[in-house]
Amino acid sequence: MRLTMLGLIALLLGVAGWRLCTAPQGYATQDRMQISAPVQAAHPAGTDELGRDRAVRLSLALLLGVGGACCASALASFCTLLVSSFASFGPPWISRTLLYLSDLFMTLPWIFLLMLVRSALPLSLPPLQSGLLTFLLLGLLGIPVFLRLHHSRASALAASGWMLHAHATGLTLAQRLRSLLPHLRPLLLAQFLLYVPACLAAEANLGALGLGLSEPLPSLGTFIANLQSAALQAPSALVYLPIAVLVLVLLALELSLFGAES
Amino acid sequence: MRFLRRALRLLSLVVLAVLGTSLLMYVAPGYFSDAREMDAAHAGVARADLVSLQAQQSTLPRLLRSEIHGWLRGDLGTSRQYGTPVSSLIAERSALSAKLLLSGVALGWLAALLLTLPLGMQRSSVPEVFLVCGTALLLAVPAGLLATLCMVTGHGGPVLVLALLVGVRDIKLLQRMARTAWAAPYILHARAQGISTWRILGIHVLASLRHDLLALAVMSFTLALSALVPVEVIFDHPGLGQLAWSAAMNRDLPVLTVVTAIMAMCVGLASLSAETRRAGAASCA
Repeated sequence: MRLTMLGLIALLLGVAGWRLCTAPQGYATQDRMQISAPVQAAHPAGTDELGRDRAVRLSLALLLGVGGACCASALASFCTLLVSSFASFGPPWISRTLLYLSDLFMTLPWIFLLMLVRSALPLSLPPLQSGLLTFLLLGLLGIPVFLRLHHSRASALAASGWMLHAHATGLTLAQRLRSLLPHLRPLLLAQFLLYVPACLAAEANLGALGLGLSEPLPSLGTFIANLQSAALQAPSALVYLPIAVLVLVLLALELSLFGAES
Repeated sequence: MRFLRRALRLLSLVVLAVLGTSLLMYVAPGYFSDAREMDAAHAGVARADLVSLQAQQSTLPRLLRSEIHGWLRGDLGTSRQYGTPVSSLIAERSALSAKLLLSGVALGWLAALLLTLPLGMQRSSVPEVFLVCGTALLLAVPAGLLATLCMVTGHGGPVLVLALLVGVRDIKLLQRMARTAWAAPYILHARAQGISTWRILGIHVLASLRHDLLALAVMSFTLALSALVPVEVIFDHPGLGQLAWSAAMNRDLPVLTVVTAIMAMCVGLASLSAETRRAGAASCA
């Protein structure tokens, strides 16, 4: 099940990449003679209300969304691993402080915290920078979510008999940290797989609140934000295509996790 | 003693959350700006207000002092964007948000319980497969998208969206709990003795699940609170979530600090009650 779902996601990303590479127009190119155009040879998914090719924009949004979510999840996993591993070998006050800080971030509802922090950062950045900032934020705010679990596992391993033996035989801190990694790998993988759809959904929610990627860079969130006006101006099933793709990708990611569980 | 320690910890977290929000907004771009500056008719007044604000809040300690002064005055400060006491804004909107949250969570729970409890005693897994497929599909729809789809199609409102979000996430856990409860030997014995299903369900199954149900209720409340912001913004529901979003975008610090404190307190109290119950259950065992 997991491989099938991941294969489906890879296929969607492959099609998106192929469309981006072969499309004659860019994601921001406006064809004012073809506003809200239906399906045709030049525009296989029609155009939006500004005459931009929907298939190209959706392809880029999908690649940015999934790529950004994977990077954010990888950043969160890596930082959580680093912080929890160092804390487990340090004095107890470091662990207590880190867990307290993690609880501080978890005191606020996650979407509220995300909205608060993102709205406080500059909103008029160039599109690429706004995208980088959004996903960086998602990566950093993912650390407190998993820190407690990682820390408890890392601490249990650090206090285990074989680790004490390693310490007694003179292994350095770096060597002991390195020997923790294989034991933390399943947890890291689970965290990574769990957090990717969470980042995708969070980016979509931020976009719906007007805090996503700046125009003209497309994102799945901005498609949601524009859905109301697009559905009213040009009532066509094509306006729901980005939504269908987002739901399909999230469903595939969720089922791949379900496959991992079973 | 442990409860007191946990309560003090919660209080310290809330205070730090409020301080963190104040710092974040203070350093955010556009804090000392006003949209009225772009209107020639009001630009002069706006600039005079901003100069006065900058004089009062030129440093972070001064900003915090003016915030505390507002809280001690009893009206929790004055909203920068609405010019009204924050307490009156919060009072009106809290009632609406509380009603929305309670309705959404109650409806979600009712649907989840009605679907999962009877399924727990079914031998066939066919209904369960349909339930799993349905919940998987709904889980793949983010809160903002669900709200937007309801708006666009003209079906459903904020209560339905919250109910779906909460219910779908609870169904999986409730299903497992129900299955385990129904498979208990004493339940099987009760059924063999001919005791009615509803009696078993009401008196035995639900009673055995009460601690787990309470923990799940806390989780549902936190989840609904998290989804409050996108749901209220998209539906233009004049609650705390919409107020928080508007305050964050307009750098309305007095409102934002109060909303942050309320959100942090709600989540903290929910966790505290769950921890206290768990500790109580553990000590009884």
